[in-house]
Amino acid sequence: MMILLKDIVPSAANSVNTKFILLEKGNIRASKKCVVVNGVNKLQETKECMTLVADESASVHFLLWNTECEAFEPGDIVQLTNGIFSYHRNKLVLRSGRKGKAEKVGEFTMLFVEKPNMSEVQWQANESDAKKLKESVTSTELQKPPS
Amino acid sequence: MNTPAVSEHRLLRAGEHEAPDPTENSLREAFALLRPRLRPPFSLRTSTPSDYHQLVLAIVYGALTAPPRTARTHLVHLHAVVTDGYDLFTRTVLRLSLESYPRLLQPARAQLLWVISELIGADAVGVDRLVVSLLRWVRIGDFSQPNLWLAEGLLRVLCVRWDWLLEEPSVLTSALFLYLRLLADHYRLASDQKVEALKELEIDFCVRVVRQHFDFCMGMGRDLVRLLQDVAFIPEFRDVWKDLLFEPRVFGVPGYSDIWQLYRTRTPVQYFLLGITPEMETRMRFLFTHVKLGNQRRYQEWFARKFLCRPECETVVVDLVRFICCAHHPPNEILRSNIIPRWAVIGWLLKSCRKNYFAANAKLALFYDWLFFDDKVDSIMNIEPAILLMLHSVPEYVGFTQELMEFLFLLIDHYDVDRKDLIAQGVLKSFDMVVRKGVVQSLDLLSTCSLISPLLKERFNVFIHGSKPEAVRDLYLSSDVKTLGGPKKSASCEKTGFSHVKGLVDHLRATMTQAGSNNLQTLGRLLVTFAKLDKQAIDKELGGNSSTI
Repeated sequence: MMILLKDIVPSAANSVNTKFILLEKGNIRASKKCVVVNGVNKLQETKECMTLVADESASVHFLLWNTECEAFEPGDIVQLTNGIFSYHRNKLVLRSGRKGKAEKVGEFTMLFVEKPNMSEVQWQANESDAKKLKESVTSTELQKPPS
Repeated sequence: MNTPAVSEHRLLRAGEHEAPDPTENSLREAFALLRPRLRPPFSLRTSTPSDYHQLVLAIVYGALTAPPRTARTHLVHLHAVVTDGYDLFTRTVLRLSLESYPRLLQPARAQLLWVISELIGADAVGVDRLVVSLLRWVRIGDFSQPNLWLAEGLLRVLCVRWDWLLEEPSVLTSALFLYLRLLADHYRLASDQKVEALKELEIDFCVRVVRQHFDFCMGMGRDLVRLLQDVAFIPEFRDVWKDLLFEPRVFGVPGYSDIWQLYRTRTPVQYFLLGITPEMETRMRFLFTHVKLGNQRRYQEWFARKFLCRPECETVVVDLVRFICCAHHPPNEILRSNIIPRWAVIGWLLKSCRKNYFAANAKLALFYDWLFFDDKVDSIMNIEPAILLMLHSVPEYVGFTQELMEFLFLLIDHYDVDRKDLIAQGVLKSFDMVVRKGVVQSLDLLSTCSLISPLLKERFNVFIHGSKPEAVRDLYLSSDVKTLGGPKKSASCEKTGFSHVKGLVDHLRATMTQAGSNNLQTLGRLLVTFAKLDKQAIDKELGGNSSTI
């Protein structure tokens, strides 16, 4: 089920299905990690790239991973399936994760807003009905408190 | 159910993170399904409409992805089973071309040109639209190999199919429009050997069409003159240009006697689509339909990064401006809303030109319909962006307003010296029309704004009101010089040009406080005026003729 960026909540589940347009792309950071594969130590190279993406409801930081880093450019419209919105290196980011997939479906022809930025929203503890109270740090827009 | 062999036949570029294209999918599925039937002997049994539909899709896929010999077999099959004049086949290929040409792999593109030639040979329904769609994909300002390949390949097909082309005036003149446009760039900007063969082809084609089929060309209207003027310096075109100006009867079209007939014919909208690709058109129309003023920054960056990234790409700004002015007229609801207006995008495009040559051509494109405006023939929507751009640039970008005003006067005086009065009439009518139809409340800003140079205001007032130069000079001396902080001039200074220069100096002082890169231009104008004055003073002393600087 497709959701708008303004409705994503931090979660360990990879269930975010959404569509957005890529606004800005940061530098591609390559790093090597030592992993054990079949009892043998191997050096695994991974690439990461932080981006700012948005749809008509909000923006968020989207982390590109490995082959994704070269595949997407600002202006690309991306469809994300089974993505995950969670903390990664102390930052709240949206990413495709191991089970998700990001695919380019178009370019340019999508409207967007840059505020609120869901990665910069302060999340408070659960209410009993599992709705979170949001306080946007950067947004100058009024937000309706949950009922 | 794709067999490995089918997936080897690729149509579109498919990166790991690119969503599959629905059109390509339906073509590939049809091909996979009907593959056994695509080898001879072919069944000539009449099939159901849906069966025919699937078969045509499969043949499209096969014709574009199979090696040439097999592709030929596919077309033979098509010729045998076709029941609708190739309509479905052509429409499918057209859709593929419009939606996905940039993603088509090079072998498929080569096959596409060959298929088009075959379709022309078979007189297929709709092949004219297919040809025009490919003309549009030739990108202006792009000197990369694939783009030059398309320009040359397409032209060769048209030359081979000359007889058919003569029966399709719309395609013939569209091709003329494109190749004249390309020639100007290929001659000026591309110095490679790789363009030599193409240039020869283009010149032969264009000269032949203009000389032998001028009756078709006349319908192209004033932009034909604009294009021919840009290639008039090419040796093979010099005579064509001379004849156009001085010997119109040489073209052998009864009723055509003067270039003015071309000027006063408004160029049909279809030609302005040739200057920009379908991709550019989609983005432009999206901007003007959905993006609010204030939100355009990122879209402009993306557009520039994709289409204006290299210096030579700026040449396409001309075509973008013509498209915006002439081929995209927003409806009233959009005009009344806060969607980004056309003048704002044109302002961005003009300012992004780093080379004066391209900027000047772009300004000509902006004002072209002003020069020959006739409300019985022309649309006010063609001239609206220019006046709004001039007025809205005050005060933040007033230097730009001045640039535009100066350029307009330059055009009136020099665009066609023999027809200067007619052009002046056109511009006067334009100014009159934009006020009368309520595009602007009034033109007072251009004649009274203190930030605009007095010389320019004087020129404008003289032009609009035809008033006596002395009366207007009094006006500027008494009020505007005071505004600029200069001392009041005595009557004796009126006679000399130095008062004009003093006004410019005062104006320069005032404008120094404004941001903008136009200070150097003002200084330049100042220096030229000094030089002119010196010459005039000297010549007057010696009693000689003054020569132009």
